[in-house]
Amino acid sequence: MSHSVSFTTKGSSAAAALALAAAVMLIPANLLPVLTTSTSGDTRDDTIFSGAVQLWRHGLGAIAIIVFAASIVIPFLKLAGLAWLIFGVRNGPPRNARRLTRIYAALDFIGRWSMLDVFLAAFLTGLVQFGQLSSVQARSGIVAFAAAVVLTILATQAFDPRALWSGRTDASPTSPPA
Amino acid sequence: MAHDAQLTCPLCGEVHRPVSLRPGERASCTRCGTVLAKGRRLGPEAPLVFCVTGLILAVPACLLPFITAGKLGDVRVSTLFTGVGALFDHGMRAVAMLVMLCGAFLPIALLGALALLKAPERIRAQVASAGILSRTAEAFEHWAIPEVQVLAVLVALTKLGSVIEVTIGAGFWCYCAMALSLLLAQRSFDYESLASRPGGANAAPRP
Repeated sequence: MSHSVSFTTKGSSAAAALALAAAVMLIPANLLPVLTTSTSGDTRDDTIFSGAVQLWRHGLGAIAIIVFAASIVIPFLKLAGLAWLIFGVRNGPPRNARRLTRIYAALDFIGRWSMLDVFLAAFLTGLVQFGQLSSVQARSGIVAFAAAVVLTILATQAFDPRALWSGRTDASPTSPPA
Repeated sequence: MAHDAQLTCPLCGEVHRPVSLRPGERASCTRCGTVLAKGRRLGPEAPLVFCVTGLILAVPACLLPFITAGKLGDVRVSTLFTGVGALFDHGMRAVAMLVMLCGAFLPIALLGALALLKAPERIRAQVASAGILSRTAEAFEHWAIPEVQVLAVLVALTKLGSVIEVTIGAGFWCYCAMALSLLLAQRSFDYESLASRPGGANAAPRP
């Protein structure tokens, strides 16, 4: 015996607002420098993208891919996925609810990994402080990026995936007998 | 982590009748396919053991040196909170608070909440009701991300390896072990709490 509970789509409005705010914050997050590195008087500002490119150029391809995926691909992927889900429930329960539910679960899982760059900036800023020899400072881009990450996580939490199924009465053929 | 007699899929809202699960079996939602419960492989006390282990490891993780960095004789020792302090000093207080919450405070608080949920009733009742603890733990789960901090430190060490001399301290290893304990506690807690409910999981068991 199984039955379903109906849910409203009010959460999708809040999710849309938060996702929109996150999209706005991603603009300065990707344009402003996130770190300034000084080595023996030579100073260099890095954005998220240039930081990943710099890692690649130094032969750290695997690390560059991890940083690029966590800091650039995942935030945009989350926003695109959220937009798909939000538009999906606008006109009632979508026909591909099962697939959209899996997308939601994936978005919920991957979102936390975007915090990688924030932790990285904090760690480097705390550790690399050798005065004129070498130092790292976090810049304003990391504030915008952290805000974007928090907003995307909040947007995912605000979206209620049960809205994808609201009003549907379908049941899987694998349902156990009552 | 709800404690009602029926098991409701958190993703689609389908309500299921519990079934008993054998070790290694998984129960999936009949409608959306989400795994709702797993048959217990470890004993019922496993979540509490992992939580207490994590809480014990949190003490040296917070106090002992994380990483020691050196360049031309100048040595700098960092702890779990060094980066938070540096961000705070640079005026990035909100980001510093976020790092401290997600990397230190909430993982420890989540371990504490899960430990209390599995603690004997007479101890738990003195702190909070199971419902409050359960909702608190669920809220913390999204923000307690020590595993991301571990990855960030490993990325930083790889990046810095050719520039400065770095030595990994005992605090970082304890932090890694604490993150692993939290992960195991969450995994064992989920299936234990769901699968042991009267009636079991609401779905088709899968091997």
